[in-house]
Amino acid sequence: MSLSRRNFVIATSVAAGGSMVLSACSSGGGGGTAGGGSAGGATKYSAVTIGTKDDSTGPAPEISGATKGGTIHALGPDDFSHLDPQRIYFAWNSTVGNLYIRCLTGYRIASGGSMKLVGDLATDTGTMSDGGKTWTFTLKDGLKWEDGSDLTVEDVRHGIERGFASFTTEGATYLQSALTGTNDFRSVYKGPYGGKHLDSVVTDAAKKTITFHLRTARPDLNFTLAMHTYGAVPVKHDTKEKYDKDPVSCGPYRIKQHSVDKSLTLVRNTHWDPSTDAIRNAYPDSFTFEFGLEALQVTDRLIADSGNDQYAVMAYSGVPAERIQKVVGTPDLKSRTINGLLTGLYYYAINCRRITDVKVRQALNHAWPLEQIRRIYGGPSAGDYATTLLSPDIAGRVKYDVYGKLKKPQGDPEKAKALLKEAGKLGQKIVYTYPQGGSDAYDKTKVVIADALKKAGFEPVIKPVDSGSYYDQVQQVDNKFDVMWFGWAPDWPTGYTILQPLFDGTTIANGSNNVSQLNVGWVNSAIKKDATITDPAEADTAWASLDRQIMEKEAPVIPETYQRRFYLYGTKVGGAEFDPLFSAFILYKLYAKS
Amino acid sequence: MTSPMSSAAAPLQVTVAPGAVTPAPDAPPQGGAGRSPGQLARLRFRRDRTGVVSAWVVLFFFVAGVAAPLIAKLYGKDPYTTYGQNQPGLLNDFGFPVKPNGGIGGDFWFGVEPQLGRDVFTLLLYGIRNSLLIATVTTLLVTALGIVVGITAGYLGGRVDNLVGRVIDVLLAFPSTLFFIAFWPVLISMFVSPEDNTPTWLIVVSLIAVMTAFGWAPMARLLRGEVLALREREFVEAAKVTGASPARIIFRELLPNLWTPILIQATLALPMYVTTEAALAFLGVGLQDPTPDWGVMIQRGSQVYQDDITYMLFPGLSMVIFVIAFNLLGDSVRDALDPRIRR
Repeated sequence: MSLSRRNFVIATSVAAGGSMVLSACSSGGGGGTAGGGSAGGATKYSAVTIGTKDDSTGPAPEISGATKGGTIHALGPDDFSHLDPQRIYFAWNSTVGNLYIRCLTGYRIASGGSMKLVGDLATDTGTMSDGGKTWTFTLKDGLKWEDGSDLTVEDVRHGIERGFASFTTEGATYLQSALTGTNDFRSVYKGPYGGKHLDSVVTDAAKKTITFHLRTARPDLNFTLAMHTYGAVPVKHDTKEKYDKDPVSCGPYRIKQHSVDKSLTLVRNTHWDPSTDAIRNAYPDSFTFEFGLEALQVTDRLIADSGNDQYAVMAYSGVPAERIQKVVGTPDLKSRTINGLLTGLYYYAINCRRITDVKVRQALNHAWPLEQIRRIYGGPSAGDYATTLLSPDIAGRVKYDVYGKLKKPQGDPEKAKALLKEAGKLGQKIVYTYPQGGSDAYDKTKVVIADALKKAGFEPVIKPVDSGSYYDQVQQVDNKFDVMWFGWAPDWPTGYTILQPLFDGTTIANGSNNVSQLNVGWVNSAIKKDATITDPAEADTAWASLDRQIMEKEAPVIPETYQRRFYLYGTKVGGAEFDPLFSAFILYKLYAKS
Repeated sequence: MTSPMSSAAAPLQVTVAPGAVTPAPDAPPQGGAGRSPGQLARLRFRRDRTGVVSAWVVLFFFVAGVAAPLIAKLYGKDPYTTYGQNQPGLLNDFGFPVKPNGGIGGDFWFGVEPQLGRDVFTLLLYGIRNSLLIATVTTLLVTALGIVVGITAGYLGGRVDNLVGRVIDVLLAFPSTLFFIAFWPVLISMFVSPEDNTPTWLIVVSLIAVMTAFGWAPMARLLRGEVLALREREFVEAAKVTGASPARIIFRELLPNLWTPILIQATLALPMYVTTEAALAFLGVGLQDPTPDWGVMIQRGSQVYQDDITYMLFPGLSMVIFVIAFNLLGDSVRDALDPRIRR
């Protein structure tokens, strides 16, 4: 179904550097105990809420002390892979997408990282009717494209219809599936270029409304529509495939110059009216991106803090292992960092088709050595222990710890052994697999995992798989693995985007993200039922209780960590905030100090 | 590497020159008639102080490797237990040793490994043991195979030489590392059930086999060239005329003249195989944690040296000492065998 894995995969590959070693102690000197808390970042969890019409009305609240003008420089290793909104799925592309793409809804992020879903192009977060099958949005007044022409409901519809075109396969597919009722939506509708419109999307130019008639109820469609894949595109200026090179802006900045893999410059879009935008501030006159710089190089430049680098931030790749000790340990540098947790959860999927006994799966949960694993990743500064399926930023998430992992993060071999004995499976063989080649942290964690399994009375078998074909192999239905390293990042912060793709037994197939292959009647029907609850608060509670029930009664996975990343910025950069959604700087909140 | 080599070579010349040049012409009249070339070589080697010291160093490494289990037993630790993970107070939250200098102390002579927290001393001993085992066996096999194929091709010439020459061409052009990365997992999956651990002996045997299969070609090509030059020389002609068999010509006439290139090639190959094996391990084929390996330790050290230089120091320094000693030993042995070549 939902392919958030793409979203996730990029997160993993970039995170690999950060997760590998967040080190301590200078050369030769003692490491000291370096009190974990001081090294780790502040843990701030805040769930997303839904804003009102007032919240959706611009302008965005001013940031105190912010000044207009100047240029913010962003330094990063790679150019953005796509600029066409319909081809954006990776969080990394979205960090820049925020500056020129606008969708019907969006997230207003308060200082400190708490998120509120508000209307962006729309006046509010939409009106749902017919039990979640019909959604209506009204456009704000005064919306303009960068050439001064009006942004109309036709442009919003055009952006959504482009998601069906043959060249936009990189984007998300939730809305397309919901509109057509099939995952093979391109066979139903081929995009707007044949002159045909989707019957299920109705626009009213006079009233400025756009209405979606869905085949399946989607009470959280307003979250779906905040994805950049569903951003508006002007009908008049659509250049199809070439739009990826030079997209038209309706946000505060427009693309002025782009040389692939070298640099990207965005300048102020004079036709953007701040009073229409409740989300974005726009203090600097321009943004420049410099590509092709390794994370270590960027960090050293920002530490040196000279010339234009005083106005620079790290674009997406965080402080690497080699410098984290220096950055976190030097107060002056520490004060120039932001850090936060990556969205999503890293976990170990237990193959329920092979490990059919729940007691054995529970024993695995008890036995797993979370503390040792996290120490290899770099301790508290690398992330927080996970005990739930829903990550902390998911709406309505309730924290629980059914396997006592927070009290005994090093694992509880006695309890695991007792459970195993009870099940009569002492000496059970456990085939553990992980991707080899991406990050050698996993080559280390396998050692402590094997040790812990042995201690708990299992017989560990370690079978690494080349990272290039890892996902393909563990997503085979008839694979021969018992425990598989895995991770998942949700596309929007509700329980549906985690529990449905990961635990809905009806999705099991080769390539499915239900890697645990959990196929239990009560879980399947609960997912089906919860997905149609129209009241958001009620739905959140339902997902949270399902989260706990799945872990308690089925234990299909072993949650590992919510991982953390550190970013550094120059002395003359103000307004630095960690984007809880895309795990980078919130560019539109930055300002250049004079 | 170049600077220690050349500076080490300078005093060598000084010691060799007075030691070997003066007695060499005097030796036959002094000792009368009774000394064989082997005895002479041994005599010359014993007078070469650098060579003797290098020999002791190399011997020390081999003894340490062979006796590793014994030493570990006396020392009371093993290279598999993750002490730092099991005992609180050894590693900090970042996974680095709490004590200065990589956690060196009475309990852990060479410190504690970052992250996994194993004992560096026993890890290094077992690493040396495993690496030297693999490298030595590979070198012996490569040398033996190279000698047989090279000399045969060179001596027989004609069709055989052509055929062997093409095989060598292919092998030299073959991207062996890529091949190994691609086919090693397939090979292992053919022998091992997907639900069993890969036995370490299988990894070792397959490593040796593949490194030998791709490693003999340079040696063979070199020897073939030498033999081509030698087989036209008068002493070979003379042997042929007296009716010596090809085997006798190869082993009694040609081989003694080839020991110099063989020794040089072999002494270069052994340290090279230690590093090749480490590189393969890094690429996910070959020895894997928790099996200790010298090269893997150095690789690990290069990743953490900014925070824990001590961990880099022990495997790195011991590897440098070993490689230099082995190369110097090779030089000295060559000098002793072939006193005509002077540097």
